[in-house]
Amino acid sequence: MAYALVALGFVLALNAAGAVNFAHGDLVVLGGAAAVFIGAWLGLPSILLLPIVALAIGIVGIVAARVAILPLANRPPEATFVATIALAAIIEQSLTIAMAGAPRTAPSLAGSGSFEIAGLVVGRQPLAIVVVGALLVAAVWFLLEHTQIGRRMRAVAADRHMARAVGIPVARYVVLSLALSGALAGIAGFLLGHQFLVAPTQGAGHMLKAYIAVALGGWGSVPGALLGALGIGIFETFVSAGFGDAWASAALYIAVLAVLALRPQGLFGEPVGRRA
Amino acid sequence: MRPSSFWLIVLVLPPVMALTVLPPFGQRMVTLAGIYGLMGLGYQLVFGQLGALNLAQGALFGLGAYAAALTAPVLGPFALIAAIVAAALPAALVAGPLLRLQSHYFALATLALASLVNLAAVHAESLTGGANGLAGFATALPRGPVLLVMVWVCLIAGVLLYAWLFEGTLGKKAHLLRDAPLLAAAHGIDAAAWRFTAFVAGAALAGLAGACSAALSGVVSPDVTGFSVMVLCLTLVVLGGARHPMGAVLGAVLAVGLPELLRELQGAWLLAYAVATLAVVLWAPEGLAGLIDRLRGARRPPPVPPGLPDIVPPVPGAQRLTVDGVSKSFGGVQALADVSLLVDRGEIVGLIGPNGSGKTTLLNVISGLDHADEGAIALDDHRVEGLPAHRVARAGIGRTFQALELAGDTRSADLARAVATGAAFLLLDEPAAGIGDGERRALEAFLAKVRDSGRGVLIVDHDIELLSRVCDRLVCLDRGRAIAAGRPAEVRADARVRASFLGLDGVAA
Repeated sequence: MAYALVALGFVLALNAAGAVNFAHGDLVVLGGAAAVFIGAWLGLPSILLLPIVALAIGIVGIVAARVAILPLANRPPEATFVATIALAAIIEQSLTIAMAGAPRTAPSLAGSGSFEIAGLVVGRQPLAIVVVGALLVAAVWFLLEHTQIGRRMRAVAADRHMARAVGIPVARYVVLSLALSGALAGIAGFLLGHQFLVAPTQGAGHMLKAYIAVALGGWGSVPGALLGALGIGIFETFVSAGFGDAWASAALYIAVLAVLALRPQGLFGEPVGRRA
Repeated sequence: MRPSSFWLIVLVLPPVMALTVLPPFGQRMVTLAGIYGLMGLGYQLVFGQLGALNLAQGALFGLGAYAAALTAPVLGPFALIAAIVAAALPAALVAGPLLRLQSHYFALATLALASLVNLAAVHAESLTGGANGLAGFATALPRGPVLLVMVWVCLIAGVLLYAWLFEGTLGKKAHLLRDAPLLAAAHGIDAAAWRFTAFVAGAALAGLAGACSAALSGVVSPDVTGFSVMVLCLTLVVLGGARHPMGAVLGAVLAVGLPELLRELQGAWLLAYAVATLAVVLWAPEGLAGLIDRLRGARRPPPVPPGLPDIVPPVPGAQRLTVDGVSKSFGGVQALADVSLLVDRGEIVGLIGPNGSGKTTLLNVISGLDHADEGAIALDDHRVEGLPAHRVARAGIGRTFQALELAGDTRSADLARAVATGAAFLLLDEPAAGIGDGERRALEAFLAKVRDSGRGVLIVDHDIELLSRVCDRLVCLDRGRAIAAGRPAEVRADARVRASFLGLDGVAA
């Protein structure tokens, strides 16, 4: 479910920016790190910490939009790729310095331990992740489908020239999308940061999984990205249970390569022209 | 461009200094810079010249390093050749399917391949030594000053060859291929062969660089296949200049030199390097080498495109273009439904609408490239809807084409040609797509002259701001229907225009 949040944020940024945000994985890590540091500093209960982390990484998303995405809107997508890769390196190196290289654990959301429902043992943290994840996905869906803001965000994603033509302040909606994307990444980082450690070098891995989810689910499609992310999660769980983590990752990469080799235009094709 | 004596001196200076005045530690640094330079030079072929974001260059570097480490005990110095093959061969095998992919899928596929190589390096312990890596092979490989000389001779030769190759027609071809693949094909350039060659040559250089780095450090661990090598390679090429012959060398020297200069900052040098890269992407896209050229005044100013004529003479002919109730469908899809509009002499009419709303189809139907199923098109009283395209043109309707595939100067030439035909009415398809601000202003001024000459213009473009400034009226199409027409401000404020666009169904977010 946390993958779904990562992929959801990734696809929002992708559609708004018209290019892959290679720093997205590092925003996730930054979310975990923010949870560690702000949690230790303020000593707040996790449930209050969550919106603070979301806000903080949302602001980082705004900075990313202003620095690395909007100024390059008229250049080829590769320019945005490189700018966001540089941004990713900046975040990673800053975190390496701040954390002195030692991985940390983020506070848990719902306390540790587990309980039984109908004979199944359910960990509190995984359950909390699923609940928070589902709530956020539902909230984003509602925003995109049923509010004026969401429709405008979709309009900007579909055709920014037309959006500008009908008077939508495109830059503002790109920034807004990146803020939302950052907030989702931050929350995902917080949730993942308790189960797995937070280490500065994880960013590329998160980014790659979101990238794969979006490529498999249909480039630019929000439901596709969610399905892709859930699929990856389930796939990894089963393969790694059977053959170990390394084989799970390897099988995933090979699967992606096979898909790209057989269907160079993506698994489901692309709905509207090219949106690299 | 031919490397100037300035750059030749810069190129030769590091190895000469290393051999004459620097201590062994300094020699080591210069060797390392040379190695990064080789990797970067290979990357320039793919990223700079093909414009493809290859994220596997680091992995290819790692393949070279492992191949050298594994074969050195048997092959001795010839292990370097084995390393080149070990990188170039897999690259050649995957190049076919890989190079067909669009930019974002290409980046993903290369990233997945690189991750596979990294996984193999960590987990195939019997072959690679796992996380501990391999050691104790370096005695069989060139070392010390010999390695330094070898690396820099290869690098200097590579840079000179690169400069020589891309100075002339090949550089122009590469440029055309990057920016206008279809036009390149029309000029008889074999894109597939050229992309394959560049990709494999880039891989070979990465393999050689990897082998030399193994020889230099004496150990090979999975780190050499990691993403950080890739990021270093990308940033050094971007920082130095992705296409400039000296770009990789300059970036590599900085990558090795900066940490020494910024020693007090310790770990922060990578941070500084990343910040510098971002700054270069934003403000000096041609890289530091290009920037230095500009400051030295060495680079010739970009050639002035043949440009647009200064004077647009008036032309005789019909006074009004009428489109009345035109419909057109392709298969079952209604591309145009009952579209009517007028263009008078001395008037610019802009055509807007979402992608696929029928704008280009309308221009095609008016200019006779397609024929309407229903409706009339007339110049004054002279009906033209049944005429073939060349007769429509002779009757007084000039046409430019969607210029996505044309470079800037070709585009101006297309526009100038359409005006020179003496047509009283011009149909312009996306004349402003992909041009810079300066060209955009020139285009605006030119359109005003065309209007003042008494020609009528029907123009399609995505740049709504430009259209609002130059057009007297706008017509908005939505799914083949004209849903609004009037002064630009009115059309942009029209509720139907906004709704047609915002209600765009079937497009997820």
